[in-house]
Amino acid sequence: MQEDKMPERILVVDDEPNMLRLLKTILMDKTGYEVTTTNNPLEVSKLLQESHYDLVITDLKMPLVDGIDLIGIVKNIDAAMPIIVITAYGTIETAEEAIQKGAYDFITKPFRKETILITIKRALEWKRMQGELAELKKQ
Amino acid sequence: MLKFLRRFLKEPEEDEQVRLQEKFAHFRRLLDNNNQALETMADMEEKLSGDYVFDSSYLYSQVDNLGEQVSGMVASLNLLTRNRYQSDLIPICQNIVAEIREILEAVPGIPDTPYILPLSALSQDLAPAVGGKMANLGEIGNRIGLPVPQGFAITAAAYKRFLEFSSLAQDLGAVLSQADIQDLDSLKTISRELQAMVRLAPLPPDLEEALLQLGRSLPTPWLAVRSSAVGEDTEFSFAGQFATLLNVHADHLPGHYKEIVASKFTSRAIFYWKYQQFSVNALPMAVGVLAMVPARASGVMFSLDPHAPQDNTVMINGVWGLGQYAVDGAVSPDLFLVSRRDPYPVIQRRVAHKPVALVCRPDGGVEEVALDPEQAQAPCLTDDQIQTLAEIALELEEHFGQPQDIEWTVGEAGNIIILQSRPLRLSAPAFAKEARPPAPEPLAPPLLHHGVRAVGGVAAGRVHRFRHDDEVNQIPPGAVVVARQPSARLVLVMDRIAAIITEVGSPTGHMSILAREFRVPTLVEVGGATTVLQPGQLVTVDADAALIYPGIMAELLQRRTKPDEEWRNDPVYLKLRRLLKLISPLNLLDPESPEFKAANCRTLHDLTRFCHEKAMDAMFIPDLDKALDSSRISRLKTDLPLNLFILDLGGGLKVSGQDQVTEDDVLSRPFQALLRGFHHPGVTWAGQVAPDLKGFISVFANTMYDMGKAERGLGGKSFAIITPNYLNFNSRLGYHFGIVDAYISEEKNDNYISFQFKGGAANIDRRERRAKLLKQILDDLGFSAHTRGDLVQGRLVKLSLLETEQTMELTGLLMAFCRQLDLALASDAVMDRVLAAFKNEDYSLKCLRPQEAAAG
Repeated sequence: MQEDKMPERILVVDDEPNMLRLLKTILMDKTGYEVTTTNNPLEVSKLLQESHYDLVITDLKMPLVDGIDLIGIVKNIDAAMPIIVITAYGTIETAEEAIQKGAYDFITKPFRKETILITIKRALEWKRMQGELAELKKQ
Repeated sequence: MLKFLRRFLKEPEEDEQVRLQEKFAHFRRLLDNNNQALETMADMEEKLSGDYVFDSSYLYSQVDNLGEQVSGMVASLNLLTRNRYQSDLIPICQNIVAEIREILEAVPGIPDTPYILPLSALSQDLAPAVGGKMANLGEIGNRIGLPVPQGFAITAAAYKRFLEFSSLAQDLGAVLSQADIQDLDSLKTISRELQAMVRLAPLPPDLEEALLQLGRSLPTPWLAVRSSAVGEDTEFSFAGQFATLLNVHADHLPGHYKEIVASKFTSRAIFYWKYQQFSVNALPMAVGVLAMVPARASGVMFSLDPHAPQDNTVMINGVWGLGQYAVDGAVSPDLFLVSRRDPYPVIQRRVAHKPVALVCRPDGGVEEVALDPEQAQAPCLTDDQIQTLAEIALELEEHFGQPQDIEWTVGEAGNIIILQSRPLRLSAPAFAKEARPPAPEPLAPPLLHHGVRAVGGVAAGRVHRFRHDDEVNQIPPGAVVVARQPSARLVLVMDRIAAIITEVGSPTGHMSILAREFRVPTLVEVGGATTVLQPGQLVTVDADAALIYPGIMAELLQRRTKPDEEWRNDPVYLKLRRLLKLISPLNLLDPESPEFKAANCRTLHDLTRFCHEKAMDAMFIPDLDKALDSSRISRLKTDLPLNLFILDLGGGLKVSGQDQVTEDDVLSRPFQALLRGFHHPGVTWAGQVAPDLKGFISVFANTMYDMGKAERGLGGKSFAIITPNYLNFNSRLGYHFGIVDAYISEEKNDNYISFQFKGGAANIDRRERRAKLLKQILDDLGFSAHTRGDLVQGRLVKLSLLETEQTMELTGLLMAFCRQLDLALASDAVMDRVLAAFKNEDYSLKCLRPQEAAAG
């Protein structure tokens, strides 16, 4: 099994710039992940094509391209990309829809810092396992 | 005749029972709103802990909720009291809600300053006028006295004037609102369009004149013009991509200025403004104009190597020429790691091959030049320069109170000039890290040498004795706060105090958690602190080693840390704190006091407290005589030490029209069950709960004031509103607050028990511990329960009649059992003992006296 020493890269999408700043600060403070943020969901496909990411975290309710649309966009570029959706309190149906569309998990705002850190960790582990599984199948 | 008329005009006689039932419905609504409002407040306060991530829409929705809940309470209270509080309470409530909304919606204003402020007049506090970058540079030059380039700032006020004068503000808003954005390309098109509009817009003539004049007044006509947007570092993550123009001529400064302003309209910024409404006040663009330094070498340095903070070195990166190549990686830079200790020896040097450099062109602009092989291989700094840079880095760190990320340049004369300094983010040290051994040679014997570290770190300041939550506003900045017991209210000043020392408390307590988020060095369980430490005395607190020294221990203080940047700068978090100041403080503490009146309600919490109190009064007190006349309210004759009144809405009692009834008269099934619980033979009602010795002493020492209240409250009233199947039991014992609301019938789907318990006389740690204990017991009983602070709520629904009735009985038992337990729950171990006892059906509370329990 190969030990990947490169820090894992996370793309965070939310239309509220302060939320992005906060999430980035928390992730950088508490983890070794590399974090890119954008308040503009239109940018996501460009960002994903330009460089490699291991995880996408996106707000669900955004202008123009909402989180549900974004799941499709991300999955078209990389079907194996785990996506964590951030939903507002009381929108559980949309969160379930997001899962059906292929999101890995959802997390409800406001949330504990620990909760998102754990969710991210699980998502990245899931991705690694998916990768290893794919490798095994090839052999 | 008159008599006849009067009788004729008089309202028809209301049916007393209908009236009471309506009244009861209003009361129920008020209680519901009260519960919800308290829950909303607790939820918001919880967010202050720093453990949560939330956005401004959370604040909006919670403020909306609170507004509805509290004005709903005011409306219900007026319905209950025939508009007794119409004229005072309604406007007070409206005003508080309006003030809260104002804070919520406030966009920071642009300070009214001249268009231009010289760098020599700038300091950190001018950041709202000139942006963080220029304000910091001013601080470095003027307050620290380090060399910085000459220059000036074009203020946010100038930007605002420019946008208004040229009608750009309007035009940009119009273009943005009409813009049809479908994809990234359309966004880029609009970005280009807006930037072109900015370039073409006319500057106000006086601003243009000032720019030309001042631009030419600098020692060189060649300038560096850089963005210094206000709020760039805090609010807007898409900032920091704005333009910098190097080596441009002063004659064209107006154009360069517009170029920098135009660079504000990036795709990301446009996306934001399109959907959040463009406002000229959001992210105002201040601009820095600096005399261009023709650099021999330049680079960046970190006052502490972020990759290996434990190595205690300054990390310097440098290249020949201008610094851009060191930042963007065009050339691999020289690396120097320098010890942070005098005389700052170089620990490691890695001199890179630097074949090219970016330099100023004589006719403006910058260009890349090839370097001769000898220079390419040579270090770009001398040892003297390296040492000076390291000293400067530490000086900046010392001044700004945290590690710094610094841009520097070396002029042609070999002189070092600082271009920028900003906080360097380091990974947070793990909370559970081992306590550091004490310093080998303390300079003076410590005043106190015990206590439990809640938050590590070292700090010094003057002792301030904190006696009561209400005095939180009197705490001076920089104080070492010394208190008998922890107080979560200290969170309001945690951004400005040096340290906290309490005589009791725990590292997992509420206050400790908050202090941890603010990185305020905190020691708890420091017995004798309030007697040994004198108000006004200067002390140094070494929380890592649990030592408190007299005076200032400079050596220890070098490890001083500032509050967590993440929260100190978070605008949504800061807004929450400002909002909560109008929401959660409780000024109306004592209903018996003459100060307990509508006019003294200053917060939403006050309003809820006032409405609730007055509603209970309205339900019971004023109507008591009338109701007794109409045989509605009866007092329960019981050997329980409860002052219990019953309002029967019909069928809840065997009898009617009695001043006093006995327990045998009760027909209400849920009330019968509750009383059975109260009478459980295992419960002792008489006498005080005797906590264990240690717990008792600390409770006694620290809650004297509250104990008095608790005692007085034992005579408080309890009310039961009943029907054959319904019970609303409201019990108020001093600071304890218990509510049971239940419906028990053959129809399983209608059955429920709601339980709520809050308050107590002991400190918050103990009250929270009781809440935790209750939650565990409620969970075991099948409730779905949760706690917030010292509030515990639980609900159980849709069980069979028998099951609901049995649980009701246990609920009564539980209320009696835990009535004074908060005083006794000195530790989690005691709590576990009590929990085990309850599970073993031992309700005697002998478990609080281990010897006795063992002997018995």
